[in-house]
Amino acid sequence: MTVEVAIQQALNGISFGALLFILAAGLSLIFGMMDVINLAHGAFYMLGAYIALAAVQRTGNFWLALVLAPLLVGALGLIIEPLLLRRLRGRHLDQVLLTIGISLVIVDLVGLVAGREIRSIPFPAGLDRSVPIIGGDYPVYRLFVIAFGILLAALFAFIHRRSRLGALIRAGVDDAPMLAALGVDIDRVFATTFAAGAALAAIAGVIAAPVFGVFPGMDVDALIYSLIVVVVGGLGTLSGAIAGGALVGPADTFGKVLFPQFALALIFAIVAFVLLLRPTGLLGRVRIAR
Amino acid sequence: MSDRSNRLTRRKFLVASGAAALAAACGPSATPGASASAAATASAAATAGKALKIGVLLPFTKVYAELGNSMKRSTELYLKQAGGKLANRPVTAIYEDEANDPAVGLQKTQKFIEQDNVDLMMGIVATPIAYAVRGAVDSAKMIFIETNAGGNALTRDIANCTPSCKSKYIFRSSFSSWQISSPIGDYFATKKGVKEAFTFVADYGFGTESAADFTQSFTKGGGKVTGSLKAPLGSADFLPFVTQLKNQPTKDIYSFFSGTDAINYIKAWNQLGMPAAGYRMNGAGFLTEQDVLKEVKDLANGAVTSLFWAVTLDNAENKAFVDAYQKEYNLLPDVFAVQQWDGLKAVDLALQATKGDTSNKDAFITALEGVKFKSPRGDFEFDKTTHNPIQDMYIREVKVQSGQAVNVIVDKIARVTDPGKPTT
Amino acid sequence: MRRGALIAGAAVAALALVTFPVWTSEWESSRYATTVLRDMLVLAILALSLDLLVGSAGLPSLGHAAFFGAGAYAAAVTMARLGSDELLVGLGAAIVASALLSLVIGLFAVRAAGIFFLMLTLAFAQMVFAVAFQATELTGGSNGLPGVRRPRLLGLDFNAPDALFELVATTFVVVVLLLWRIRTSAYGLALVGVRENERRMRALGYDATRLKLSAFVLAGAIAGVAGALSGWSLRFVSTNDVGIGRSIEAFVSVLIGGTATLLGPAIGAVVVLYVERVLPSSIPFAETVLGLLFIAFVVAARQGIVGVARAAYARARPAPARAS
Repeated sequence: MTVEVAIQQALNGISFGALLFILAAGLSLIFGMMDVINLAHGAFYMLGAYIALAAVQRTGNFWLALVLAPLLVGALGLIIEPLLLRRLRGRHLDQVLLTIGISLVIVDLVGLVAGREIRSIPFPAGLDRSVPIIGGDYPVYRLFVIAFGILLAALFAFIHRRSRLGALIRAGVDDAPMLAALGVDIDRVFATTFAAGAALAAIAGVIAAPVFGVFPGMDVDALIYSLIVVVVGGLGTLSGAIAGGALVGPADTFGKVLFPQFALALIFAIVAFVLLLRPTGLLGRVRIAR
Repeated sequence: MSDRSNRLTRRKFLVASGAAALAAACGPSATPGASASAAATASAAATAGKALKIGVLLPFTKVYAELGNSMKRSTELYLKQAGGKLANRPVTAIYEDEANDPAVGLQKTQKFIEQDNVDLMMGIVATPIAYAVRGAVDSAKMIFIETNAGGNALTRDIANCTPSCKSKYIFRSSFSSWQISSPIGDYFATKKGVKEAFTFVADYGFGTESAADFTQSFTKGGGKVTGSLKAPLGSADFLPFVTQLKNQPTKDIYSFFSGTDAINYIKAWNQLGMPAAGYRMNGAGFLTEQDVLKEVKDLANGAVTSLFWAVTLDNAENKAFVDAYQKEYNLLPDVFAVQQWDGLKAVDLALQATKGDTSNKDAFITALEGVKFKSPRGDFEFDKTTHNPIQDMYIREVKVQSGQAVNVIVDKIARVTDPGKPTT
Repeated sequence: MRRGALIAGAAVAALALVTFPVWTSEWESSRYATTVLRDMLVLAILALSLDLLVGSAGLPSLGHAAFFGAGAYAAAVTMARLGSDELLVGLGAAIVASALLSLVIGLFAVRAAGIFFLMLTLAFAQMVFAVAFQATELTGGSNGLPGVRRPRLLGLDFNAPDALFELVATTFVVVVLLLWRIRTSAYGLALVGVRENERRMRALGYDATRLKLSAFVLAGAIAGVAGALSGWSLRFVSTNDVGIGRSIEAFVSVLIGGTATLLGPAIGAVVVLYVERVLPSSIPFAETVLGLLFIAFVVAARQGIVGVARAAYARARPAPARAS
């Protein structure tokens, strides 16, 4: 592999990593902040992608979807959390079963309403060009994805480190009754967080749709990738998703090209490897179980 | 201990209720008492006019759902045009979902054979499922018109019947992957004068078979395959692979991908400026079939592929078929619809030859072996030894016509027959 | 006195199950019903073995199909390569392969807990899937392994569909009995102790890691047996048998039926397979129904089907029997 090719593949790896981070961000938020296992994450992502499909089909406007999808799916999250999820605080197995159930319903309904054809969304106008970069032309959309990822990561870092909201949520996970006693409406905080996580999944669906496509079964693929990123990066911290994307993206890209016989297993080998060395993920801290 | 005795009580209760629930669950046909004999009566006169039950096993969920829906539409259109009858027998089509899982496909096949008592079976999209049910179909002597799965082994003589082998009860109305991948290799080497090619395929049965068959015939024709690359089935990101392709010198790339993979591959190909850099995309026909072209539109322009059909094929049957399909569904048909259509036509003609009798299997098989008709793909007939179609292969190129990306036929390789035994 | 009646009742139920094809032979679709029940029992055995991890030891494994598939491939390949039809050869190969695999994976996995354990088991299972998918020479790869021969035991030939069903049903009853003995034994109680409070168990002198690992291997071995039965039933082994779909099927069967109960996972398996495979023939929204079922159970029936049955039973019984 020449230096030029290596640089191109590095760019591929970074942009794939950025996509993975954007994809996993919502899951990381819900895991990290609420200690809730949301296996409906892939379904929310799929919803976002199908909303993007509808928006582009009807209005030709991709950016409209970027606004519409998080609003609609966030609203869905805002309904689901108090209605179904709230009673399951701390009960992980029940959360697993519930969110699998929600996922099945959403995915089947999407298939019934939007059809089960394989669809694709063209790159939005303005971002469909390629620009010359070392070694050759590189797609602008991938650069956009990197930029978007960086923006989102900065936002996360801010929430995690600086904001009152972040501290509030973390405190609520550690000791909800105390926080309620201090006068914080912890239920509202959690509902909003879940909605935000769902909205983020939908945004990921919109952003990734031109790259990955829109098709039945996309929810499972997305969920598995998201779980990988979040767990590798480290549960319990928001920056974990960033670390996870930064590692898994390039590792998977280079691995696929350098060791094609192991391409299928490679990404899981990375997970196992990381978890064996650092059982709580790269940046994770152990959460004290009650 | 009272705890232990309580557990036993519950166990008895639960097992009994479970058995009762299962009994209730098996549906209205699971009633004890006199049951109609499943064996059909011998004489042809008795079965003519009697309802014909066809079990249609197709994917309606998971990744191949689109193909299943297309083939169901084709079935319903054919039956509608035929007035709901084949050889004067009213047809009941029973659809089941193969769900991309051999265990499910096998269970549904058993349902067709043992519960629905179908007269014949059609369908199956995924090759592993076809391989999985081959044994059951053969032992049950169930006539099975396989209408998509292209695994070579299904219609060949293979030692140990691994991964599969032909059966006298199984006919295929679609293709063998050899038919799609081998003639084009020879065509490129001999007729088109291509000296070097590079293969890039999806890493699973169909992909590896296609690459192997192409490589064999291309090399035999005097060409050289300079290298190969494989992408895992369902790869999310094609940029790394196309980057590798762009950094090797051979310009003619032969590929096998379908569905989402094909769409993502074609998009990545364009994003990295492959056409401008002089690279040419070639491959098996599914790379640029209608399901792909309707999404990538003109991005696949110039791609050269081989398939036994194209929507632009200029013959009377295809025009009638495309018009009827479009009128009924407001959609262009795809090759999968054609495969199902031809399967039904073969059944129709064979039934007419046996005057509607399906109880004499050997006679029906002989009738099927003898069918010859004009299909949307051209002249259709089964190879009597393999039960695979003998058909023309078209070399097609993607062009935009009347605002739609379609495959235009540029050449033809006539009467291609699968060799019937392994070539590699 | 009551105890004797209960044991007799259980024996009758078990006998009825094993002889299902005999007393339903007059039904019109008896053969099909038998194959459906057979597949349900295979999944039930897998789910029961998974509950040894989830329910008893508190280890939520989402990669259990790896051992199921390993057993299926091992039994089929060994019998084919050795040219042997012996049941014990196939079973032995299945158990050895799945126990070894679960030992190797377990050595790494049991060091983790909770969501990390879930992810590790998922990751390892996906690696096993990848190997099965790529190793075409051994496993048939993506095309699957056809022509799996059904076994024989001494004089008994399990080629006939009814005979194979009886083998599966008998294995199911044996596994239920085995797990019942384990659950009520000191070992089983120690596992529950580890689930409830691992730290305290360690303080009490138990080697929690060894307990968890042994449970993992035992569960893996039973899953391997289920896999062998699956290969013989279908006469086919595919990569779906080792994939995440199968793992999730087993997992939700356990949760729906009622984790940490004796028969809950089996009942869950029956329900899940019924909705997944039998119901779609009649209605188009089967996946939605399955999803709603899961939601309903979580919201209304936390302990699964067995929990619902227990509650109903407790309400129906008069009070005096409780005093002791």
